[in-house]
Amino acid sequence: MSQFVKTFSFIDILGLILAIIFSSGGLNSSTLQDDNKEENNLGKSIYEQKCSNCHGEDGKGNGLAAQFLRPYPLDFVLGLYKVRTTATGSIPTDADIRKSVKEGIHGTAMPSWAPFITGDSLEAIIEYVKSFSSRFAEESAEIVRVDKPMASSAKSILSGKTFYEDLGCADCHGDDGSGEGDDVAELEDDLGRLTVAANLTEPWTFIGGSSAKDIYLRLVTGMNGTPMPSYDDLVSSNQLWDLSNYVISLARKPVWEMDADELGEYYANMDEENRMNPIERGAYLVEYLGCPHCHSPFDEDDRMIRELRMAGGNMFRLGPYGDFVSRNLTPDEETGLGKATDEQIISAITNGIRVNGDRMMPFPMPWPSYAGLSDDDLSALLVYMRSLPPVYNSIPEVKKRNPIEYLWGKFELLILQKPFPPEGTHGNFGEVKVNEQM
Amino acid sequence: MNQIFKWILISAPGIAFAGFIAVLWYIPPFMTTPPEEFIEMTLSAPPSLDHIEDPALRLLAEKGKYIITTGDCIECHVPMGSRGPNFDEYLAGGMKWVTPMGSFVSRNLTPDPETGLGRQSDDEIKQALRSGLRSDGSLMHPLIMPWILTTTLSEEDLHAVVIYLRNIKPVYHKIPDPDPNETSNISRPLMEDFGGHE
Repeated sequence: MSQFVKTFSFIDILGLILAIIFSSGGLNSSTLQDDNKEENNLGKSIYEQKCSNCHGEDGKGNGLAAQFLRPYPLDFVLGLYKVRTTATGSIPTDADIRKSVKEGIHGTAMPSWAPFITGDSLEAIIEYVKSFSSRFAEESAEIVRVDKPMASSAKSILSGKTFYEDLGCADCHGDDGSGEGDDVAELEDDLGRLTVAANLTEPWTFIGGSSAKDIYLRLVTGMNGTPMPSYDDLVSSNQLWDLSNYVISLARKPVWEMDADELGEYYANMDEENRMNPIERGAYLVEYLGCPHCHSPFDEDDRMIRELRMAGGNMFRLGPYGDFVSRNLTPDEETGLGKATDEQIISAITNGIRVNGDRMMPFPMPWPSYAGLSDDDLSALLVYMRSLPPVYNSIPEVKKRNPIEYLWGKFELLILQKPFPPEGTHGNFGEVKVNEQM
Repeated sequence: MNQIFKWILISAPGIAFAGFIAVLWYIPPFMTTPPEEFIEMTLSAPPSLDHIEDPALRLLAEKGKYIITTGDCIECHVPMGSRGPNFDEYLAGGMKWVTPMGSFVSRNLTPDPETGLGRQSDDEIKQALRSGLRSDGSLMHPLIMPWILTTTLSEEDLHAVVIYLRNIKPVYHKIPDPDPNETSNISRPLMEDFGGHE
């Protein structure tokens, strides 16, 4: 019998899932191959190979990956560059763009391209990126003056603290600099998207760098497109240096510099904090576990259908095993998990026992891996899922094959060693009810 | 006696056929194996970290291990043996997908200097997980290797992941570069190990 089991295990099929989800492939092959036969525009061809995944073919910051990146990739068409050496509202200089491409944008998914884009290519990509916005033709960049830095001292930090309070930094960044000020809940960027205030205690996350000069520049130039204004006119440059020094003094030790005792204490504190803020922890978990990637439908362009996020309806065709449609995880009473108990949901996540008592196969839902989640994290996931807006999306049951199809499929799989061709699907396979109370 | 013999002769093919159908129906035993067995197999796969002497490093590695195990990296990064996933070669890669966009082979994530991540700097590994950028300047497809998930990890968690990958058992498992011209209309993982052992 064992030869029939050859090479076929649940991990195999788990491996199918990724391939299945997007097998019809929404990506332009030019991003994967260097063939630009009719296109000899150097800037354009590099852009399409290296940049369009995130910044989008048309430079609008809406590439395939952009829907999952926070902060959002830059929209070159609007030309609202955050990291600059120019006055607030102004376009950046070529040198600014060059620096961003070469060094990457600290604290974001923009990597350092220095080893890979050099010389002519670098200049070409700068020109190409500028060509997305008409502003570069119409305006000129106005470089801000960087006065002599003030060395950090107890006195400078103390005076910086005063400005921190006077200028209202704490409204967004919080009294302790943790980025949890009172106004944080309603922070929006210029496009009306929710955004966050920097956590000033974690300099390794600062967009645009964490040296005194970097911070000084952000204070002087502001961050275009975000709620972060310029303080150039409000205070003198010396006072801004004091403020930079104060911000630097807020930094805590990162884990890579801690010793064992500090680490133990830090992780214990973090566990405690996660217990206190389960929704935040749950949101962080689902993002890296990838729950929304199966439990939300995607449209023809491989964009998640946002209003159905976590409401299921994404179909996976798994050969002889049937057509699986991801379940609705929102707390809708009728079609979601509104009526399921905590134990039922946890049992589904960690044991593969569905809410109706059926067993799941170890794929497409990888519950054997999720069995390793800690109790705290599981309850955080629960609290998070219960906090989602309920969406009515009635999910059909697994469509099983008839016995003959099933047996033939298994025969192909085990005896003929023919892997089944999984089919990718787009769109929502559940039934949405329009909410009439709205 | 003869009668019995005759009956056996007549019914043997039937029994064999029924057995064959039963095997087809129930193998692989996804629905008959208790969930605990899958869980046991999956959770006991990661190698122990007891050999790490520096207590701080060990705490970081434990954190990274938690993220990697719950994050289900084994889904693609464990090589296929003749009897299913070969957990002795944890995260040594070698699964292959042929898709309409080209073919993809999962990489060896162990610290082996020649075939794994041994020669890559911490920053290069972080860059791959944060931005999908490989050390040779090419980009990963965001939906094949889902760096769109790993990019949501905090910088400190990402660091823990790197420390863990640095401290698992190095496995010599040479992964061939996929051929970008090899495409298919259907995407399917091929169920065999594409790595070369020496």
